Amino acid sequence: MEHSRNNNGVANDGGEFQSPALERLVRSLSRLPGLGRKSATRLALHLVSESAAAEELVESTAQACEQVCHCGRCGAITEQDPCRICTSERRDPKLLCIVATPVDILPFEKAGFYRGRYFVLGGLLSPLDGVRAEDLPFGRLVERVRLDGVDEVIIALDSSVEGETTALYMQRLLQELPRDSDRDALHMTRLATGIPVGGALAYIDEVTLQRAFQFRRDF
Amino acid sequence: MRILSATVRGFRNLQESTFEFSPRVNLVLGRNGEGKTNLLEALNYYALGRSHRGARIDDLIGFETESAFVQLEIETKPDDVMRCEFAFERGKGNRFFLDGEVVGRRADLVGILNTVYFDPESIRLVRGEPSRRRHFVDQGVSESEPIFLSHLTAFQRTLKQKNGLLRDLKRGFADYSTAREELRAWNRELAHHAVEISIGRDDYAHRLTPYADASHRALTGGDCGLEFAYRPALETVRSKLAEEVPENASNDPIPSPLSFCEKEQLERDILSEIDYIMESEIKRGRTLCGPQFDDFEVRQDELDLRVFGSQGEGRAAAISLILARSDVLHEKRRIRPVIFFDDIFSELDSQRGQRLQEMASGLHQVFIATARPGDVAGWDPPEMKTWSVHAGRFDQTESP
Ligand SMILES: Nc1ncnc2c1ncn2[C@@H]1O[C@H](COP(=O)(O)OP(=O)(O)O)[C@@H](O)[C@H]1O
Ligand SMILES: [Mg+2]
Ligand SMILES: [Zn+2]
Repeated sequence: MEHSRNNNGVANDGGEFQSPALERLVRSLSRLPGLGRKSATRLALHLVSESAAAEELVESTAQACEQVCHCGRCGAITEQDPCRICTSERRDPKLLCIVATPVDILPFEKAGFYRGRYFVLGGLLSPLDGVRAEDLPFGRLVERVRLDGVDEVIIALDSSVEGETTALYMQRLLQELPRDSDRDALHMTRLATGIPVGGALAYIDEVTLQRAFQFRRDF
Repeated sequence: MRILSATVRGFRNLQESTFEFSPRVNLVLGRNGEGKTNLLEALNYYALGRSHRGARIDDLIGFETESAFVQLEIETKPDDVMRCEFAFERGKGNRFFLDGEVVGRRADLVGILNTVYFDPESIRLVRGEPSRRRHFVDQGVSESEPIFLSHLTAFQRTLKQKNGLLRDLKRGFADYSTAREELRAWNRELAHHAVEISIGRDDYAHRLTPYADASHRALTGGDCGLEFAYRPALETVRSKLAEEVPENASNDPIPSPLSFCEKEQLERDILSEIDYIMESEIKRGRTLCGPQFDDFEVRQDELDLRVFGSQGEGRAAAISLILARSDVLHEKRRIRPVIFFDDIFSELDSQRGQRLQEMASGLHQVFIATARPGDVAGWDPPEMKTWSVHAGRFDQTESP
């Protein structure tokens, strides 16, 4: 690696630097998701030799950490709590889309067709990863459905067994909610699975094809 | 299905070499420990996406090297040749390629190269523990119906999750207040896949029986019939199986009652059955009922060979069943798999051994590995190729 010996007085023999400060930087970078020690070293050496870039990074990180938070109502990533989606007059509060992580909101917002609001679970039931029902915000979800007078809940979770089971759990939870007598039963829906638009039929996996077939519609 | 040629490099003790195989019979002779199984393991690896003896990837790489590579040219239908490759790097796992393109998921390997592997381990199918029979059937169903495999994988994952929850409850790590509702959700997911697994397994047993019966008669040269029947652990499924099949309900020669039932109803019934035992499962800290406890009965003229047959009868029946797997594959997908015989003839009397060689090589490409040339003495099928192996080095020789 060409950066491993340079004028910063840094020699890379066996992964130990002569600078404890640099070593600390490499270690904290390599704890970031997707970064191994090798790429962390490359980034660290780049940062210490380009101080302007480093300063910008420090400042923007500090600012983001200070300003970014999770919306207390829906769990989205935002700078104002409650978030813009939760407070917007134009978003229908009676329509609630349940997703696993804040990132799952992005494709919906990018597509722009959805006029309802969200609820982020922050995870899926998975005892093997130590995630149990009491670790997920089901209490807040129930409250949200009640207070906002939600009419339709749209479940948009992964189609893994964890996603399916979490959906099944919520189905019973929400089904049993008492409803005002003048209102219809809570409507629960799930995203359809099927053939991607523009996808060639010949390359669809069997399971997706079977689902698409099972839930085919009149034409 | 034929393996036309193979190039191996860095695989176990095999010396780098290229093989041009016979489309019919390939014989590998060598003393124990010279590398016969290693070659067959390399040829079979792509079909399973793993070692048939369950070896870890790093153990498959030659002691002296850091990586291994195997390339096969296979012919699925006449004139339809594909290039199957896989590579290992020590500490980094395996990668598979088809015609030069990466195969991403292991499930996508299923059905590219179809093989059937006989070794002393696999012919304990009949007298061994039930998990062997479940595994045998599951593999058989999966190779002809990929959707079954996805249900099976999902079922196993769900089962692990549920067992994890039950374990936590028993150790007192989990809160009881939400546990029952959570278990119910896992049960619903389990039931959804359990229906498909039950139907798939029963259907497969029905398909297998006539072929196994025919092979068994041919192999034993007698008039002993063989029957293979699904014995589900779920009471719900058992009682469904006992129901009469509606007359003229299908064109299937031997229809299964499960294939006529209302799937949704069966799923609900299975769910009530597993919900019903929830308290005992909580107490015991593990699951107590479901397809993970299924078995299959092997009957030779009313005699349950799992328990009563002699060792010889058990082996013959196992071989007939495994051969039948290739017949079902042919019925469903018009494919005759490649067959490997790894040192099994010492476990059969010589007459049965010869019959088996004749039966298999008539329709399939076969690979026979043995330390005893006497096992194939006097057998001279057309287009036979023979190799002798010494310390991982293969030399083509005259037939014995
Ligand atoms: N990763 C490996 N690298 C080199 N040699 C190996 C490796 N794994 C196993 N072997 C050797 O392979 C030999 C066994 O080969 P095998 O094919 O099982 O024998 P057989 O001819 O009896 O079937 C043993 O001598 C063993 O030491
Ligand atoms: Mg061997
Ligand atoms: Zn919000």
